[in-house]
Amino acid sequence: MKVKVLQWHAVASWTWDAQDETCGICRMAFDGCCPDCKFPGDDCTLIWGACNHAFHLHCILKWVNSQTSIPLCPMCRREWQFKG
Amino acid sequence: MVDVSRVQKELTECNRDSAISGVSIALHDGGSSISHLTGTIAGPQDTPYEGGTFRIDIRLPGGYPFEPPKMQFITKVWHPNISSQNGAICLDILKDQWSPALTLKTALLSLQALLSTPAPDDPQDAVVAQQYLRDKSTFLNTARYWTEAFAKSDSTGMEEKVQKLVEMGFPEDMVRSALLSVNGDENMALEKLCSS
Repeated sequence: MKVKVLQWHAVASWTWDAQDETCGICRMAFDGCCPDCKFPGDDCTLIWGACNHAFHLHCILKWVNSQTSIPLCPMCRREWQFKG
Repeated sequence: MVDVSRVQKELTECNRDSAISGVSIALHDGGSSISHLTGTIAGPQDTPYEGGTFRIDIRLPGGYPFEPPKMQFITKVWHPNISSQNGAICLDILKDQWSPALTLKTALLSLQALLSTPAPDDPQDAVVAQQYLRDKSTFLNTARYWTEAFAKSDSTGMEEKVQKLVEMGFPEDMVRSALLSVNGDENMALEKLCSS
């Protein structure tokens, strides 16, 4: 028997590969987006610090930019550095 | 702008287990502003604040949660790190040690911990701190009295009771300690004063 595929309808689901489920800054789900965004995913990405704590990129940028001295990780208070 | 959705989540989360945690938050005076709140803390056990309910004025600055909430005791409290005059609080996480990962609930829990462990070397109220360091028993008595007089709902009218008994001719300090020892019961205090 020979089967010919005429149409293909693929469905995928995605999730961020983070240890927590919510952003420690805005308390929204990582798979959702920060309060300023409307669409999760590429529009509102996650970012990891050297300490391995993850936040919405927009949230941690707001925190880093609001600090006058060396910014610390909101979770562990180590110096905040973006994971290279 | 205050992050409204975060604050709403915080209120729900904090009040869910307030019976266990001993802290709760409500809109200030039942008002409608999400940036003016009132917190309550149950006085910790085995401290002179035990049995009291302490109210905290909470104001959220526009930059919250990137700036710390402004907290101040509404209920008068006798504690080295809290102003006996205006309720101002000396606590690092409400100042330069604030982190946006902290919440109103964790801040109130920190205040509860502060009530349990005063730091007299970094005082907000120098008079209270001096007394704490030099005369601990007077400190404990005063703190207990303030809890009795200001932090208990059934203690309203304490000053009136004191005044009434003083007018009967008893010395004020004896009246206060008598009232304190019987949890503010006027008749029992009178009995105690008469028999001493």
